[in-house]
Formats: sequence, C-alpha cells, structure tokens
Amino acid sequence: MTDSISAKPEDSTLVRVRGLTTVLNGKKVFDALDIDIPRGKITAIMGPSGTGKTTLLKHITGQMRGDAGEVLVDGQNVATLSRDKLFELRERIGYLFQNSALLTDFDVFENVAFPLRQHTELPEVLIRNIVLTKLQAVGLRGAAGLMPTELSGGMARRVALARAIVFDPMLILYDEPFVGLDPIALNQVLKLIRTLNQTLGITSVLVAHELEAIKQVADHIYLIANGKVVAQGDPKTIANDGSPWTRQFFGGDADGPVPFQYPAGDLGVSLGFPGKNA
Amino acid sequence: MSVASSENIVVRSLSQIGDCGLFLLRMIAAIPRSMRHYRETIRQLWFVGAMSLIIIMVCGLFVGMVLGLQLYDVLSIFGGTSATGTVVAIAIYRELGPVVTALLFAGRAGTSVTAEIGLMRATDQIAAMEMMAVDPIAYVAVPRFLAGVIAMPLLACVFCALGIFGGHLVGVSWLGIDNGTFWSNMTATVEVVKDVINGVLWKSIVFGIVVSLIAVFQGYTTPPTSEGVAYATTRTVVASSIAILALDFVLTAFLM
Amino acid sequence: MSQRQSYAVGTGLFIVLGFTALGYLATQTTSVANSSRGPSYTVEAHFANIGQLKERAPVKVAGVRVGQVQSIVLDPGKETADVKLAIDQRYNQIPDDSVATIFTSGLLGDQYVGLRYGTSKKTLADGGELALTRPAQQLEEMLGKFFGAGGVADNLGGSYVVKARFTNVGALSVGAPVKMAGVAIGSVQSINADPVKLDALVTLAIDKRYNQIPDDSAAAVFTSGLIGTQYVAIQPGGSPDALKNGDEMVLTQSAMQIEDLIGKFLVSGSSSGKPADGGKSDGDKH
Repeated sequence: MTDSISAKPEDSTLVRVRGLTTVLNGKKVFDALDIDIPRGKITAIMGPSGTGKTTLLKHITGQMRGDAGEVLVDGQNVATLSRDKLFELRERIGYLFQNSALLTDFDVFENVAFPLRQHTELPEVLIRNIVLTKLQAVGLRGAAGLMPTELSGGMARRVALARAIVFDPMLILYDEPFVGLDPIALNQVLKLIRTLNQTLGITSVLVAHELEAIKQVADHIYLIANGKVVAQGDPKTIANDGSPWTRQFFGGDADGPVPFQYPAGDLGVSLGFPGKNA
Repeated sequence: MSVASSENIVVRSLSQIGDCGLFLLRMIAAIPRSMRHYRETIRQLWFVGAMSLIIIMVCGLFVGMVLGLQLYDVLSIFGGTSATGTVVAIAIYRELGPVVTALLFAGRAGTSVTAEIGLMRATDQIAAMEMMAVDPIAYVAVPRFLAGVIAMPLLACVFCALGIFGGHLVGVSWLGIDNGTFWSNMTATVEVVKDVINGVLWKSIVFGIVVSLIAVFQGYTTPPTSEGVAYATTRTVVASSIAILALDFVLTAFLM
Repeated sequence: MSQRQSYAVGTGLFIVLGFTALGYLATQTTSVANSSRGPSYTVEAHFANIGQLKERAPVKVAGVRVGQVQSIVLDPGKETADVKLAIDQRYNQIPDDSVATIFTSGLLGDQYVGLRYGTSKKTLADGGELALTRPAQQLEEMLGKFFGAGGVADNLGGSYVVKARFTNVGALSVGAPVKMAGVAIGSVQSINADPVKLDALVTLAIDKRYNQIPDDSAAAVFTSGLIGTQYVAIQPGGSPDALKNGDEMVLTQSAMQIEDLIGKFLVSGSSSGKPADGGKSDGDKH
C-alpha cells in the first residue's frame, strides 16, 4: 500500500473517477461521470435527492461496482482489487454513515476501539490512549462509558467520527453529516470537519445538501444531476456560473431542470378526458 | 392467477432454500477467518447458550414432571409403575429432549439472533463493518452460527438431565415409586449409543445447525426495515419449527 | 476488559454445566452404570427355558449385581439353552455348586439370572459350569397345568413344516415365533380354521437345524409376559422318533385366557361370567 503512495508522490489527485457508468434497476445512475478529488482538500458533492451521491461514495469504497469506467483511489482501481487488497485500502478510508452506524452491542469506548482491536494486537494501554485521544478530539472523552442508545444524534455522529479517524486515514467520506442536527450540533460537526482537514491533512469528501454549511468548509463543489457533473467550482463562484442547474439548486426553485412533476403521461388522459382536449 | 401465485410461492421457497445453502457455504468458508474473532464467538455463546439456560431448565423440569405423572397413571393400569423411570428417560432422550430444546432454542435464541442481525443491517452496522475492513460474515454471522451449534447439544443435555430429575421428583418423591427400582429399571434399559448419543447428541447437533443457519440467514438477508425485521423473526420461528419436526422424523428413521 | 472476562467466565460455566449434564446422562442413567468395568471371568449354565432373558441382563447374588449375561445359544442337539455368564473378577468366591435361577424383576420387568450359593468349598473358576439351574417360569405354567410328553425327528432342507391343531389360538398371528426352551426355532406359517373339525389348523415352519424334536412333543400357545404377543412353545416329549416334515403334533395346548385362569383362583373373579372358550380345553387330543 505504501508503494502506491510513493509511486506517484506528485499526484495531487487522490480519487479519480473516469467515465463511470452505473445502471441500477434499469435506471442510469451515472452516465460517464468524471470527478477528481484533490489530496488534502475538502470536496463537497451536491445534487438533488436521488442523484446517487451516496452511491458514488459506495463506488469509492468498493461496496458497489460500476458497469463501465473506473474509480481510482490512490492509484488503485477499486473495482479490480482482490478482497484482501480492498480491505487494506478500506483501513485507510474513514466513512461516516448518515445514521452513525455505531455498534449497539458496545459502549462508546469499545466502538472507537473496535477497528483497533480488529486489525491490531496493540496492548490495552496503547488502545486506551489512542481511543481517549480521539474521543478528546471530538469532545466526548467524558462519554466513553455511555452506550450508543444514550447518545443524542449529534453526539453519536461525533463518536462515529472518532471511530472513522482512529486509524488516521488518508480519506474520510462524510455521508450527509448534517442531517437532523440542531444548529449547535451542526456547527460542532462542521468545526470538526475543518479541524481534521487542517490539522491532520485528511482529504475529505462531503455529501450534503446544506449549502450554507458547505460554503463554510468546502474547497471545491461538484453539482451532480442526471448522472453527470452539471457544475463545479469553488463555493464563491459556483452559484454564479449561470447554468440553469445551479440557478435552480442554489436558488431553491421548485421547478426547473429538475422538474416538479415526476415524469407522467398526460394528465387529461389520466383523469379520463378525451385525448384531444389535453 | 392462483396457479401463478402458487408457482410463485414454490419458486420463492426453492430460491430461499438455495440462498440459504449458499449462505451456509459462505459461512463455512469464513470459519477460518472468524477464528480471530473467537472472543465474539464466546460472547455469542453467552447470549444464545447461557442466557437460554433458565427457560431450558424450567421447561425440562416441567416436561419431566408431567411425563412422570402421565406415565405413572397409564402404567398403573398394567401394574407396571416400576417402569416409569425407564419410559420417562427414553421419551425424553429420544424425542422430547432434543425436539423441545430445539423449539425453545428457536423461539428464545433464534429470534433474537435474527432480530439483532436484521437491526444491525437496518442501522448500517453491517455496512460500517465492511467499511472498517471487518468481514461481517466472519464477525457477525459465523460467531452466532457456531455459538448456536455448540450451545444446542449442551442445552439439550441440560434439558434431559432436568427432565429425569423432574420425573424422579414426581415418581419417587410424590407417587412413591421405589428409588432403587426407578434407577435400576432405567439403567437396565437405556443405552448410551442408541439413546444418549443418537437420541440426544446427534439430533441436537443437527437441530443446532439448522436453527442457527435459519436464524442467521433470515437476519442477514432481511430487507433493512422494521417491517422486514419483524417478518424475518416470524419466518425464523416458522421455518425452524417445520425443519426441526421434519428432520426429527428423518433422523429418527436413520438413527433407529 | 472485565466485561469480556465476565462473558468468558459465564460461557465457560455454561459449557462445563452442559458437559456435566452429558456425562451424567451417559454414565448414570444408562446401562453404562451397570456394565462391569473391571476384569471378569466366564462360567456356563444350561437352562431348560430362558424365557425372555436377554444378553447383557444382570447376574445377581442376594440382589446385588455381580456380572452380566454374555451370550445365549441353543445347543442344536439338546433342548437346553447354553447361557454364558460374565462375572466380575472381584466376586471370585462363588461356590461351584451354586444354583442359577432365572428370575423376573416384578411382573413385567426384565429377567435376570440369580445365583444362590451352595455349600461347596470349591469356588467357580473361569470356564466353569453351574450344574444346578432352574429355568424361567412361564406365567401359563405357573397358573395353569404343565403339560408334556416325548418324541424324536429326521433331516430335511431349510425349514420343515409340522401341523398342530388347537381349539383356540387366542391372538396368535402368522409369523409369530415358535420357541423351544425359550429360544426361537421357527415361525408360524399359516393359521386356518378347519371347516369340518371346527378347530384351528396351524402350520409351523421349524428350522432344519432343530430336527431332533421328539414326535410326541407338545405345542402350546403362550403369551410373552402378561401383555406380550403370543407364540407357540414346543415342549419336548420322550419319544425316540423325531418330528418329520408334514407331521402333525398330536398334543397341543390352546391359548389360555388370562381371565379364566385368574377366575379359577378367585372365586368371585370378575371374569366368571365370560364364556369359557379355549382356557379350559388345554391338552385336547385330535
């Protein structure tokens, strides 16, 4: 795994998606999608609901495979990796689930310690130090003894974040990290994302809808719709690039390139009126 | 319409059985990898085995007691109440012990395994493990499966021992059968291979494999919704019960 | 982690409990509890009738188990059952003139061999023989009258067929065993009612190995135990000639109705009102 890093030390792009095409249940989710995620930056991926933003993250982690095209993470083609290689790669990727996905069997401490216990034979003292350090980083060292059911949504997400960074990964994927958080919790998570990126240099990919929040942290924004990148740029300029997609998405219009009406036949016909009246 | 839907049920059942078999193969293939999670197997053995002890012991005691009472009543018609111990032991070893234990096990441990795995899937815990480079088959499915396979024969033995105790309690302490007669008639007739090994052990090991497989499979493949988990739990009980009773007949025919 | 430790301890306790239960079931409630573990020596005993004695049945002295029945075979030449007894080595002080008797534990229980000590100074050794034996008691013999006579036989292939007439065959069915001295030597081939003589004509197929049965032997329909199935018992007679294929056994004893037997003893017996069919007609000649 280290050789791939040293192979292309100059490569500033960590994740390279090229011509990705995926068909799910007869619907084309991605249509020759191209995306570059630069090292050490925070990249936000936005788009209307149902455009496959979470699906894109699953392609990056190898949970799903595209029908055509390739996804390169740190120079490795995810779709062709063997199981063991894929698991090696995943150890270097942190993933924050939308619903935190803490293991309900264990308390907070054991949840954060879980990857360490699974992949290392570290002595208990060292595990304790690492876990408490990570919990301190997310501000929940005092909650180490609580069970996941005793946590609020924001706390659970911060624990999940501590778990995602316990191996100091090269890449963190945030899947809807702001959903269901009150403004305080949202700002706490926002601050953590920025801190982790700045202090540890972790490349971050952010899938979210909260434009205001993203504007504060993202270095680069991709807007995906209909399986393609319809707009990209830094937070300040993207909203003004003039395309109808950005106008609708950032303006919040109900109708536009993303239609208000789900595709349907003629209303008059559906209601039983003669076809010519429609 | 009804023909189509009944065909549909047949096809669906067959594909379920096929998926279940493939899942078993996946688990067997993952057993070497799950050896590093042996602690998790021990933990699951605690949940599915030790936590089921109370219900198994209480039920075993009552089954033995009611057998003692019923058999004493019937055997007294022939003046053969001295055979009560023998018949209690044979009835418990050959049939009631393994079958009732397996049914209780499916209801107590099988459902909780299905619900637990189903909820783990619904709350993305399974996906989270995949993301933490932990194989969920090796970490979640196999330890629960192995724990069930190990726990079932042990529970059946405990059930049988308590059943004999219950029969003794009623027969000797309450109904006044001679203590020595009770035991000597039992020891004269009950055989190790035919009754304990074939009757209790083999049957309960097979039941353990089947119940655990069904429970883990249902939990692992259920749609990740609360409705899906509820259906999966029901299916675990129904499928396990049918499988236990059908296999009981087949095994009895083979092991006789 | 103490949490992990407590799971491990609890699970360990559970496993130990399970194996303890298994050990208890296997050793304390089965025949293992009876089987002799130490060395044993073998003695022979010949019984006129072993009843339902089975291999591995206990051998007891004063009610205490001292060994078990090792094998039961019928001497083809004689009408006696050759029973080998394996007796634990530690009980090597049994007098060689002890009497071996086949007892039944209770009315329905299994049969066992009981030894009653004699007065001899010599003790039984390996390969020794118990000369004095007392056969198993048939319920019918105890309650009704014993019936017997004598005869001999000749050679034929496979099995040979003899006929016997009974006034009442009770619940005897085709395929039921034919026994001599308690050992099965053949089976009932057919049971037909004779339209002229108005009795039952039973055909018995007897293994050709047992071709030395006297032709004045008696055939009786007995019941195994009190509620068991019925079988035909052959009681050897004293004639020098043996039964041949197609012979008819002259002396028969029909099935007894247990109600009749008991009714004879109990004056106010419950079955006195029952029609007395076969029970009293034991030993009718044809």
